[in-house]
Amino acid sequence: MGRLLDACLSNARLLPVLALLASGCRTPAMAADWELDLDGRLVSVEAPPPFIAGGFGSLRFGGNESGLRIGRIRLAATQTFGNLWSVHLDASSWGDHDKIPAGLTEAWLQLRPYPFAGPFGGYRLRIKTGAFYAPISLENRTSGWESPYSLSYSAINSWLGEEVRTIGTEAQLDWLGTRSGQAFEIGLTAGLFGWNDGAGTALAYGGFTLTDRQTVLWGRAGAPGTRLLNRAEPFREMSGNAGAYGGVEVRYFDRVVLRFLRYDNDANPGTPDPVTHAQSWSTTFDSAGVRAESGNGWTVIGQYLNGGTYISPTGEDRRWPFRATFALLSKRFGPHTFSVRYDRFEVDGPGDDEDEGSEVWQKGHALTLAYIFQPGPQWRITLEWLHVTGASYSLEEFADGPPLVRQTQVQLALRYAVGPAR
Amino acid sequence: MRPHARQIRLGVASALTWLAGLGCLGHINRVAAAPLTVTVMLQDGRPLSGVVVTAHPATGSAHSAPPVHVIMDQIDRAFVPDLLVIPTGSTVGFPNSDTVSHQIYSFSPAKRFQLPLYRGKPYAPVLFDQPGVVTLGCNIHDSMLAYVVVTDAPFFGRTNTTGSWTAEVSDGRYQVTIWHPRLRDNDPKILQGEVTVGEPDGGTLTLHLVNQLKPAPLEGRPRSWDAY
Repeated sequence: MGRLLDACLSNARLLPVLALLASGCRTPAMAADWELDLDGRLVSVEAPPPFIAGGFGSLRFGGNESGLRIGRIRLAATQTFGNLWSVHLDASSWGDHDKIPAGLTEAWLQLRPYPFAGPFGGYRLRIKTGAFYAPISLENRTSGWESPYSLSYSAINSWLGEEVRTIGTEAQLDWLGTRSGQAFEIGLTAGLFGWNDGAGTALAYGGFTLTDRQTVLWGRAGAPGTRLLNRAEPFREMSGNAGAYGGVEVRYFDRVVLRFLRYDNDANPGTPDPVTHAQSWSTTFDSAGVRAESGNGWTVIGQYLNGGTYISPTGEDRRWPFRATFALLSKRFGPHTFSVRYDRFEVDGPGDDEDEGSEVWQKGHALTLAYIFQPGPQWRITLEWLHVTGASYSLEEFADGPPLVRQTQVQLALRYAVGPAR
Repeated sequence: MRPHARQIRLGVASALTWLAGLGCLGHINRVAAAPLTVTVMLQDGRPLSGVVVTAHPATGSAHSAPPVHVIMDQIDRAFVPDLLVIPTGSTVGFPNSDTVSHQIYSFSPAKRFQLPLYRGKPYAPVLFDQPGVVTLGCNIHDSMLAYVVVTDAPFFGRTNTTGSWTAEVSDGRYQVTIWHPRLRDNDPKILQGEVTVGEPDGGTLTLHLVNQLKPAPLEGRPRSWDAY
């Protein structure tokens, strides 16, 4: 409880900045859309400590962290400028061991010109600059990049939230087929970014996790002093190379969404960070996913991720290939949402072969059951049970534990949200 | 209990919408003779409500219905109503009663326009001076979608819950056309028909759709579900 209060007080430093933004323009047409979320948890967990606490657990909480915890304190604001520009700031605190008590998960400026007519219908170009999530997840679709189906994200999206962020520019061109009587819409996305040369550190050493903690900009994913890791700060630029990604999204009305994306941070794997002396991680991956929704409340999501991350501290490549997948089934009955998700994940390595690691580094699967009651935009109550079974080389080698661990976490969450953006 | 201002606006909007749908009545009263009834059935035999029906005399010329002024509001991040049928030359007001700003655009050939981001009702009504289907969207909220059907027809309306629309018209032969945003059928043989009013057992036309409808927009989800 003390930690809860401490974090709340610490976060007060950040709140005035966003409050100023939220109220900065006084005319109704210029008022910012803002939102404040307060999420508290009652946690019961049997698992090793999480990576951010210096352990190699696969869950957000672990060790002796059962009890009352901060889920998330979030303040976000979107301010439009003129008709085409908008700025969004999204600040959060997770009440954990990061080096700062609160920070920004996203901060971007967007240009969204009016749609225009062209061959085969209407088109729209969107350009976003700043820090934000690339269009990969089909699960994290609500404000704050949260999942409406469960508290904890899938292994794929937990890793994206922990270590992958676009700090750069993204352009998206949409063909608005449904605005001209067609059944489909198609979007093409391309992004250029920097400051993501640390992506892969936590995955290579800690493995996949199932969490809802998103690393804030220039925050850290690991605990200082953890062996081999230094600070595991994913949002650093070490090699001077711009990373890039390209993706395609296809929509069938508002019922089905398909997403494909190829990501390459183009980091030089031999370059150390001059400040932290952390290694630059060259990380590439392909992702593919589908989400289908029915008119009577059913949702099905499947997502697949396949990639690798490597370093070459002495000129010799050490490569960790990884892959993960999940399937989610959810049914909504008015304010009630029931969801079940099954995850599989695997990290090989560290091998010196281009394609294959030398051994299984981490391998596991997880089952998540969640019930959400959301009677309105303000209140949400969630009960989630999450069980992970997995083997981890790091647990045995660096934490002196057994390699195969069964981890269980039960959370009861109460969230209160306020603001016109809700 | 005093009605809320938004309820009053909604009531006025609904009344004006119905007036738009019945705008032909003044025209009809001068030449009333017999009922023209059009029924639209789905491929599985169920009636389809909300179908836009327009009827022109098959021979000779006819005046279109007189222009009207109607309202399409924006409430809870949706256009209300989400479909209007209006005579050519009519005007539509687009107030925004939401707590957030909206922008309206159309790149439909019948009316290309955009209203810059706003709340309240800062803009003059928009004139729709060409017949056709105008699709409206909001550049900020992609889930917002609405239609304005602009017609030269002297008689028009929408089918009720039994799939039927009826108007009082003078005797003669009429060409009937139907439209609905969820229609997959595009064959004129399915979407158009002719009917004679004034003959015994005449004046009724039933159009049967062949293909299933396109899926309806998803409803009931919290609006925050489409943030990414």
